[in-house]
Amino acid sequence: MSATTKLLLGSVLCHKLGKVRLTRSMHTHPALLSSFRSSKEVQSLEQYLEVEPIENAAAWKFVERLLPPPTVPRPVAKADYPSGWQPQKSDGSDSSYFVARTKNHMVPVYLHTCFRGQRRITVVRRVQGDIWALEKDLRSVVEQARNGKLCASRVNELSGQIHIHGDYVDILREHLKAKGF
Amino acid sequence: MLKNILNKSRQVWTPLARGLSKTNTQSNVAAESAAATNITKPALILPQDYADYAPLNRNAPRQAWIENIDAVAERKMGLIELHPDVFAAQPRVDVIQENIEWQRKYRYVSLAHAKTRAEVRGGGRKPWPQKGMGRARHGSIRSPLFKGGGVIHGPRSPTTHFYMLPFYKRVMGLTSTLSVKLAQDDLHVIENVDIPTRDAQFIKDLIAERNWGPSVLIVDKEYMFPENICYATDDLGYVNLMPAFGLNVYSMLKHDTLVLTVDAIKHLEQRLLYQQHRTDATSKGGKFKLDQV
Repeated sequence: MSATTKLLLGSVLCHKLGKVRLTRSMHTHPALLSSFRSSKEVQSLEQYLEVEPIENAAAWKFVERLLPPPTVPRPVAKADYPSGWQPQKSDGSDSSYFVARTKNHMVPVYLHTCFRGQRRITVVRRVQGDIWALEKDLRSVVEQARNGKLCASRVNELSGQIHIHGDYVDILREHLKAKGF
Repeated sequence: MLKNILNKSRQVWTPLARGLSKTNTQSNVAAESAAATNITKPALILPQDYADYAPLNRNAPRQAWIENIDAVAERKMGLIELHPDVFAAQPRVDVIQENIEWQRKYRYVSLAHAKTRAEVRGGGRKPWPQKGMGRARHGSIRSPLFKGGGVIHGPRSPTTHFYMLPFYKRVMGLTSTLSVKLAQDDLHVIENVDIPTRDAQFIKDLIAERNWGPSVLIVDKEYMFPENICYATDDLGYVNLMPAFGLNVYSMLKHDTLVLTVDAIKHLEQRLLYQQHRTDATSKGGKFKLDQV
């Protein structure tokens, strides 16, 4: 970036911002350098609705109660959860591996289907640490469920995923929850 | 609480730094460093506040030194604790590669062009009669079978290669690259971007002194950089300034060293963690529309 561009960019932005502030203070932080089609052009103040700002409105908390939270809240600690969900207990210190929860506090075990539902693959994601040890454990769990028959599995160490042939989502999820993950 | 600490500490020593830069803008480097060492500032210890975003992964939180930039000689101004979900994420090199490929492609327009048999000049008449010559039948000398004829399925200009990478792959690209940069010791944290002089030699000396390598990307939260650093880096093609909202995988990998201010670190952490934890994440999926922000 050359000198002129830098200064020009700065001055143009400053000019733009100053203009916006003068005319309309609703959007003090415009979407910088985004597409020009992304928002309407700022018009004169008479074009907008009359707004009367109220300080410390007592009833506003009831509106806030209805608004969805912007981020996923932390789970509420309870003795017992009727849905069967349980919070993560282990921090991975007692075993060589760790399975992280998702942002929604769920165990990351999923079912992938392909070939019109003919191939079902159980995917365990967000594995950290010794993924091969976890694969060994999960294989033994699955083989127990299959009455000792071998099961096919695949480890992606880079992305921390284990793929297991067949639909063993519930079994593996319960197993991981029992281990505290 | 964290914000209070940050604000307080900034109020304490940022005015000093600004005063320095105003009075001693043209002084030489040695005097500057001597003056800077005389001033004692409280160490800047910035712990991470996990109240809003508890770490999802179990990597240990990273810590980075906060370095000064008001003198060539390096001084540790404090420590900052970095959120493990942003700065100790799984280094997904595959996602980094996808980001790089996307950044190369979305702005690339291929201008390769070949003419079809209709566009090549001539070839309107039948070159020889259909029968009686003992030769193969042909209707045009610009047929693709002919030398100098048109091209079938050739490149047509302009061909755009625009596409959008899924939103959360872009987020993961940023966290992965930041983690990789930190792990490879290519990420440095500075207190601010207030350098005392507008001399380019100051920046050159500073980069040489601190082994920042052949190219440096300096990122601040604000898009208006102070005058001194703008003038100092103007003529240096290998030192670039970028606001935090422009941070991208390609630039981070293109530059040898990534230098973030404390403000930029806090801003990036807040934005990236919000994206990782937001409840309306599905709204970021779906087809890319031209008029979206």
